[in-house]
Amino acid sequence: MEYRSSRITSKYLRSRKIPSTACSGCGLGMNHKIVVQAVDELGLEVADIVWGTSIGCAGRQTFATWKGDGFAGTHGRAYAIARGLRIALPPEKKIILTVGDGDAFGIGLMHLIHAARSNADMTVIVNDNLGYQSTGGQYGWTTPQGSHTDSSPYGMFEHNLMSEGMDVLEILKGAGATFLARHVAMDGARAVETVKRGILNRGFSLIHMPYPCPTNFGSRELGSRNQVNIYRWIEEQAAPLGQEKENTVWATGIWHDASNSRPEFHEMVHDTVEKIRRTGTL
Amino acid sequence: MKRFLETGNFAITEGAILAGCRFFSGYPITPATELAEAMSLRLPQVGGFYLQAEDECAAMHMCIGASLGGMKAMTATSGPGFILYADPYGWALGCETPLVVLNSGRVGPVSGITGAPGQGEFYLMRYPTQGGNFETICLAPSTAQECMAMTVEAFYLSERFRMPVSVLADQLITDGFEDISVPENDDEMKEMGLRVWPRKVCQGPEFYPYTDELDIPPVVLGHNTGGICSDWTPTVEGYDIEEVEAHHKHAYRLIYKVRNNRHLFNHLYEKKFMDDDPDLVVVSYGTPSRVVNTAVIKAREKGLKVGSLRLINLWPFPDEHFTRKTKYLSVELNWDGELVREVQRATPKDSEVHFLGTCGDLPTTPDLIEAFENLLKNEPLSRKGWVLEEW
Amino acid sequence: MKERIEIVASGFGGQGVVRLGQIIGETGVKQGLRVTMLKSHGTEMRGGYVRSQVVLSKDVIDSPMCENPDYFVALSRAAYERFKDTVPEYGTILYDPAFVDKIDEGLKCTHKAFPAKELAVEHFNNPLFSNTLVLGAMSRIVDILDKDAVLESILEIIPKFHDRNRQAFQIGYDYVN
Repeated sequence: MEYRSSRITSKYLRSRKIPSTACSGCGLGMNHKIVVQAVDELGLEVADIVWGTSIGCAGRQTFATWKGDGFAGTHGRAYAIARGLRIALPPEKKIILTVGDGDAFGIGLMHLIHAARSNADMTVIVNDNLGYQSTGGQYGWTTPQGSHTDSSPYGMFEHNLMSEGMDVLEILKGAGATFLARHVAMDGARAVETVKRGILNRGFSLIHMPYPCPTNFGSRELGSRNQVNIYRWIEEQAAPLGQEKENTVWATGIWHDASNSRPEFHEMVHDTVEKIRRTGTL
Repeated sequence: MKRFLETGNFAITEGAILAGCRFFSGYPITPATELAEAMSLRLPQVGGFYLQAEDECAAMHMCIGASLGGMKAMTATSGPGFILYADPYGWALGCETPLVVLNSGRVGPVSGITGAPGQGEFYLMRYPTQGGNFETICLAPSTAQECMAMTVEAFYLSERFRMPVSVLADQLITDGFEDISVPENDDEMKEMGLRVWPRKVCQGPEFYPYTDELDIPPVVLGHNTGGICSDWTPTVEGYDIEEVEAHHKHAYRLIYKVRNNRHLFNHLYEKKFMDDDPDLVVVSYGTPSRVVNTAVIKAREKGLKVGSLRLINLWPFPDEHFTRKTKYLSVELNWDGELVREVQRATPKDSEVHFLGTCGDLPTTPDLIEAFENLLKNEPLSRKGWVLEEW
Repeated sequence: MKERIEIVASGFGGQGVVRLGQIIGETGVKQGLRVTMLKSHGTEMRGGYVRSQVVLSKDVIDSPMCENPDYFVALSRAAYERFKDTVPEYGTILYDPAFVDKIDEGLKCTHKAFPAKELAVEHFNNPLFSNTLVLGAMSRIVDILDKDAVLESILEIIPKFHDRNRQAFQIGYDYVN
C-alpha cells in the first residue's frame, strides 16, 4: 500500500502523539494507517469526523491521535456514548470508533449490539489483538482455542466467538448492522477500500481487523517476541472470502453489505420527533 | 402560571424542559418509570429526544454522548439502577460533562420493596463512582413543586460547574400527587426563583485548566475546537497523562471547583424554629422532613423547644449548620443510619446526636413528638424497632 | 375552614379509589387550595387494599399523611377495619353497607351509611357509577368542597358517560343530608 505518510500525518494526526507509545513491532499502527488513508481517499476533512476510542491497547494508542475532536469512553461504553452523540451531532458529521476486541466483543457487546440494532451511523474499527494485551495478555473472546496466554496457561479451552463455525459478525448481522467486513492488518489497499465503503454507509458499519501483537500474544503462544513469527502466523490463517483454505480463521473482505438499506438512527429519530412536534402524533 | 394536580414525576419532567433539557435516556424501573413515560410524551412535543436504553449504564452513557454533542441531557432511575451509573458517573465527573441524574429512592438493598420510599443512598450520592478525588453536588427536594425547582437548579449548577449534578427524591414525592404551579414565561420563572444557564462551548486549547474557576464552558464535540476528553487523567489540553503531579492538579479542580464555590447552592435548606437556640434540632431531608415539620409545629404548641433543619443541598455536606453544641436527632427512611453519621461528624465534639429510622413508611407525628419528649427528658427513644443507639 | 382537611378513601383494587382521590384533589386545585394526594396499595393491586390520602389546605402542606382523617370513605371491610381507629371524634366515616356490614359502635366519630353500590345498580344497572355517587355525597358532606368544582373535575377526569355521571352525582348529592 502506498501510504503518503508525511502528508497524511500532518493533515490528520497530532504531532504530539507521533510516534505512538505502542510496543515495538505492534501491528496496531498498520490498522490505524488504513483507516486514516481511507478518510483521506474519501476527501474528508478533520472537521468532518469525531473520533472515539476505548480502553485497552487499541483505544489508548489511538486516543487523541486525530487532529479534530475526540473522546475515549470507559471500557465497552463508547458505543452508547456514540449513540447519544449521534443524536446530538449534525448527520453529516462522521463518527469513527477505533476500539479493541475485549472492548467490543466482551464488556461492550451489549452496547455494540444495540448500536447495530438502531443502525446508528458510525464506523467501528475493531482492532483485534486476540485477547487482553494491555493488561499483560489474557485470553479474550476471539483468542483461538488452544492458545496459551497468561490466563490460559493450559491452553484456551472455552468456546469463543471465532471458532467451531462461530463468527462474531453473525451476531451483529442478526442485530441489524448494515455493513460488516473483516481484514487483517497486512491487507493494505484492499482494507482501505473496504473501510471507505464502511464510512460511506449511512448506518452502522463495523470492520473487524485482527492485528499482530508480538509482545504478549506472540511471546506466549508462539514462544517469541520476534514480530516476523506473529505476522506470518496471522497471514497464514487469513484468506480473501471465497478463497478460504482449511486453516483459514479470518476470511477477509466485505462480509455483509446492506448499506443504506435500513433507516438510519439519527435521521429516523429526528424525522419522527419533528413529525410529533408539528402534528402531535405519528 | 398553570396549576395542576400532578405527580412529582410530572414536575421533574416540566422542570427539565424549562431548564432546556432536550435529551432523556432511561431504563424502566419503579418508581422512576413514570418519569421516563412522561419524558417520552413531553420531549417530542418540544423537539426533544427520549431514548430507551438497554440498561442504566447505557442510559447515562447516551446522555453523556448527547451532552458531548451540545445538548442538555438527563437520566433517572431508582437505587438498583443507580448502581449501574457508577461507570458513566465517574467518566462525567472526570471529563466535566454537564448532566442531571435523578434517583427516586425506594426500599433496599437490592430490589427490596418497589413501591415504598427509602433513603438508603445518602452516601451513594456522595460516592457514586470509584476512585475518589472529586466532590459531588446533590439536591434533595421534599415536595413535587420543589422537584421541579431542584431539577431546574440541577441543570443550572451542572452547566456552571460543568459536572453531573444529582437530584435525590423518593417514591412518595415522585409518585404522589400534589398541586403544582408551572411557569409559562420567563418572568414567571424569575418570580419562582428558577434560573437557567445556557450551554456554551469550550473553545480550547485549554480544555481542562487546573483551576477552581466556575463557568468554564464544557468540552463539546463537533465544533472542530480540537476538544478531546477521556477517562484518563488529562493534561490541560486534554491529552492522557500518567503523572502524579498532573493528577494532583486535576483532582484539585474536581474537588475545589465545588468546595470553593458553594455560595452557588448553600442557600438550599429550610429552617423552622431555629432562631431561639432550640434544645433539640431535628435534621432530615426529603419527604420525612414534611412529617418532621408538622411534628415540630405541634411540639412547639406543647412548649417543647424543638427546631427543624431540612437539608436540600445534601452534598457537599453543609457543615455550617451544625456549629452549635446541642442535641440533634436525625430522622431518616432507613434502619442503618446514614445522614446521622454525617451529622455526628459535623457537630461540635461531645454533641448528642440521635437517630430515628423507619423505612418504607413515613414516621408518624405522635411517634416523633414522643421521641422529642424523650430526648428532651434525657430518656432513650422508646418505640420498639427503632435503632436506639447513641452515635 | 379548618387549617387542613384530611380525607382518606380506601377499598379494594378496581373500585377506583385512586381516581376518587384524584378527583377530590383536582377539585382542590380548581378551588385554589394546596393539595397532596398519596396513593398506596397493600400487597396486591387487586384484592388487597388501596388507599388514597388527600390533604386540602389554604397553606403549604407539610405532612401529606392523613394520620387523623376528617373524612374516611370506607369501601371494603378490610379498609374499614384497618383505618377506622385513625378517625378522630370530630371525624366522619362514610361507608358502603354493601361492603362494610358491621360498624364499630364503640367509635366516637360520626358514621354515615351510603349505599353507593345499591344505588348504582338500581339507577344504572352498573356498580361502576358507585364512585360518582360517593363524590356526590362527599360534595355535600365535606364543607370545603364546592359542588360545581367537584362535578367539573369528575367530567374532566372521567372522559366517558358524562350524562350518567352528572345524574349519578346529583343522586349522591341528594341522598345525604
